[in-house]
Amino acid sequence: MHERGRRHLGLEDWREAARLAEACSGFTPDVEEEQVADEVVSCFNCRYRRWNADSVSCVAPFLQ
Amino acid sequence: MNILVSIDDTDNLESRGTGELASLLAAQIEQYRWGRSSYVTRHQLLVHPDIPYTSHNSAMCFSAVLEDCHPQRFIEHAARFLESESAPGSDPGLCVARPALLVDDAPLIRFGRSAKEDVLTKEEAYDLARELGIHLSEHGGTGQGVVGALAGAGLRLGGNDGRLKGKLQAGSAGSAVRVDVLRSHPLIEEVDSLNGESVLDDDLVRLGEKVKAVLLGGRSVLLVEADGEAEQGVRWRTCSGRTLKKY
Repeated sequence: MHERGRRHLGLEDWREAARLAEACSGFTPDVEEEQVADEVVSCFNCRYRRWNADSVSCVAPFLQ
Repeated sequence: MNILVSIDDTDNLESRGTGELASLLAAQIEQYRWGRSSYVTRHQLLVHPDIPYTSHNSAMCFSAVLEDCHPQRFIEHAARFLESESAPGSDPGLCVARPALLVDDAPLIRFGRSAKEDVLTKEEAYDLARELGIHLSEHGGTGQGVVGALAGAGLRLGGNDGRLKGKLQAGSAGSAVRVDVLRSHPLIEEVDSLNGESVLDDDLVRLGEKVKAVLLGGRSVLLVEADGEAEQGVRWRTCSGRTLKKY
């Protein structure tokens, strides 16, 4: 999900979210109550993901 | 006196979460011996381009019984707390409702449900709060958080929305625990199955990495699902985060 500019994941792309986060140096876990993925390291559990109506986008300021 | 305290939009990308502020406020009620507070619930609201939110648009709510503190004193304390603790750039909102004083709680519950599906305005929130005699105030920025704060109170009052903040300490991941033991946990009021099948006291539940309860029927419920492997007589397992995401 992290590259220059915003990238998006589908709301059900659980496996891809985990794969991308494992390879991302910017992954930062969000607070417990906002984590939803069972994989600890996942874009869906990252403080810098933003939920949209039909996708999740990366808003990491240092990666934009 | 029973109160519902709901806050929203207190954070930014780098700050503490709104849930932590709610937990701190709830803890202060007990610390100052003003009364007793209950668990914090997280309520998902609509994510939409017309709604400003940091990353997830959720409100946090808890109930409390004030025994030695006038509600107005608590409101003033909570307002000061939000003004000093909310993150720069946030738009905090505070709602304090007294359910026993509501002639009809349906409009508040409806507002909460609407906030999950529609874009609502501050004016709509203030109008309803005024009509129902509910405290609603903004404490910085645009004050847009009043919408979520009022909605959070409605969803908590409705009793069928949200996840409890925090992981439940019920045993180690992978272990099997009897249902009656789980039912005696101070933060679990019921253990129910996702598919509606009866969950018996002597059934065993395999605990996942993250054991969380949801708010259903006005109670804190640990949801379990059939354990496909059913090894060693273990009939159930706790639901995954993915499954609980919709609550």
